Amino acid sequence: MLPAKTRKENRRTTGMRQGRLIATGAMLAFCLFTLWQALLLPLTDRLGPGPGFFPFWLALIGAALAVGLLITTFREADGPAGAEAHILPHGPGAARWFAIVLLLAAVAASMEFAGFRIVMLLFNAALVIALGERRWWVIALFAVLGSFGVYYVFTTWLDVLLPTGVLGL
Amino acid sequence: MEAFTHLLSGFASALTVNYLIYAFVGCMLGTLIGVLPGLGPAAGTAILIPITFSLDATGAIIMLSAIYYGAMYGGTITSVLINVPGEAASVVTCIDGHQMARQGRAGSALAIAAIGSFVGGTIATIALVLVATPLANLALKFGPAEFFALMVAGLCLVVGLAGRNMFAALLMTVIGLLIAMVGLDPVRGAPRFTFGIESLIDGLGFVPVVMGLFGIGELLLAAEKRQARMIQADLKNWMLSPQEWRASSGAISRGTAVGFVLGLIPGVGAIVPTFMAYVLEKRVSKTPERFGKGAIEGVASAETANNAYANGAMVPLLALGIPSSPTIAVLMGAFIINGLQPGPFLFQERPDLVWTVIASFFIGNALLLILNLPLVGLWARLLKIPFSYLCAGVLIFCIIGAYGLKQSMFDVWVMLGFGIIGYLLRKLDFPLAPAILALILGPMMERSLRTTLEISGGSFAIFLDRPVALALLAVPLIVLGALLFRPGTFSKLRESDVE
Repeated sequence: MLPAKTRKENRRTTGMRQGRLIATGAMLAFCLFTLWQALLLPLTDRLGPGPGFFPFWLALIGAALAVGLLITTFREADGPAGAEAHILPHGPGAARWFAIVLLLAAVAASMEFAGFRIVMLLFNAALVIALGERRWWVIALFAVLGSFGVYYVFTTWLDVLLPTGVLGL
Repeated sequence: MEAFTHLLSGFASALTVNYLIYAFVGCMLGTLIGVLPGLGPAAGTAILIPITFSLDATGAIIMLSAIYYGAMYGGTITSVLINVPGEAASVVTCIDGHQMARQGRAGSALAIAAIGSFVGGTIATIALVLVATPLANLALKFGPAEFFALMVAGLCLVVGLAGRNMFAALLMTVIGLLIAMVGLDPVRGAPRFTFGIESLIDGLGFVPVVMGLFGIGELLLAAEKRQARMIQADLKNWMLSPQEWRASSGAISRGTAVGFVLGLIPGVGAIVPTFMAYVLEKRVSKTPERFGKGAIEGVASAETANNAYANGAMVPLLALGIPSSPTIAVLMGAFIINGLQPGPFLFQERPDLVWTVIASFFIGNALLLILNLPLVGLWARLLKIPFSYLCAGVLIFCIIGAYGLKQSMFDVWVMLGFGIIGYLLRKLDFPLAPAILALILGPMMERSLRTTLEISGGSFAIFLDRPVALALLAVPLIVLGALLFRPGTFSKLRESDVE
């Protein structure tokens, strides 16, 4: 039984509680999937524990913990009325959030084909525009420095290999 | 005495031009990372790993350690000037530091923070020199059973102190361990959980996962928030008055002791020593009513404890191979990337590296003091960098860091995926620290346990025959039992998530 103070501290808004239930459910599914996959591996071999031994027991413990967390979260009291919790991005920041995620995905999808410099030139320009910059010369300068400049520093001075793509850029 | 002989040879190496430059650059970058709100030391250290790719192992560790210390100090500047902690440990500094800034004493607040950080860091490094060697020698007598028990104890302490909900912290630990299972089985070399994907044979990279959870996750959170306004402060006048010196000296010595001792305990996190040093200072003060209204002792105690903790936390890493916080786990990852395994064997196999790195801690602390007093105005100006450029700059480093280690775009996808997961987990109040520590300790834990069971023919009774292992396994039982039956235990220490 939790003491009164701890119970009060633990109160979450309904949205937060639902979010935690969904996240815990996802973790439970992950543990059960891993448990199934671990059972496909040998749990023991002639020398002792096999490759499936450690993940099997971990997944089993994880599944039990996830069930425990689901129950405790489900039984938690709701937080104070009027309090809101946004689990997903909301308000003016949501556009910035999605811009970052989508542009990062675009970089990951295109960089090996188009090369670091071209992709980062476009990425930098698109990102700072999406985040509110409107002065074209600042955007251009930042995009060039953040792509061609960074490429030069990392490949020449720091010996980091970066993709050049089909065009050699 | 032997330790000091090694330390002297470490200084001879650390004072070479290359290593001095690495320490200098690390301090500058670290302070920059600390100054920028939204990027903590763990994220900062992770995203700056790519700049160490071309360095030798010693140089890479020196630079990353300096980044860590720099970030711990840099967080102070935002705490004082805009009341926003640059990293979690600087939360306590906001209380009196920002009040001092409002009273026109920002220069004094930043000066005492720099001086306290230097004193705390230097004394804690001396203590590290004294403690690390005997501890490493003791750990050399450990077998796989003891190492497994040690890692379980370390993880459970992190779990116990990581968050308000023990189930959530334990579950995050298990999730971290399961993610670490992807790739080749560390004992037999058989592929596991790879689903025929070639990129998963080496496992999910530690760097992309940490960059995602901390770097991208923090950035996505910051993208939703508005930036705070900076106080126009007089930063030229940072000389302390004799009264301020007198008031701070006791706070600095007490903060050093609190920070170092708590740094030795895995899972305590940087915010706990700063909080406890502050509370202690308020308790011993004859005028506790000044605290919260611009008491310089409040800033001195918190900042000293912060840096003493940073150095103290190096002891379990170097002597035992146990990371005590996410930032230290990132540093441990840097050791592993460079083909080194932190722990007692490192003292035997690479004493040159260990002692050069330890000597560089002294140099880094001195560099931070020299840099930060005159350059505080410059750091303050960095706070005016618009979020768009800060965000783009950080993302460039993250992309290069994730891709550069294995030249694999798959790792960039991994970073993005874990970035979104990190963002959601933070919002849902799941502690990330246990998952990160479990991720790096997972393969070692599995190897130790399976080797132990191979020795015993599969019997867990071997742990009963080894008193050290048994005692170490008792620690998690006590911690978790206390939390289960008395949920209020450690509540003071669990005021916030670990870093």
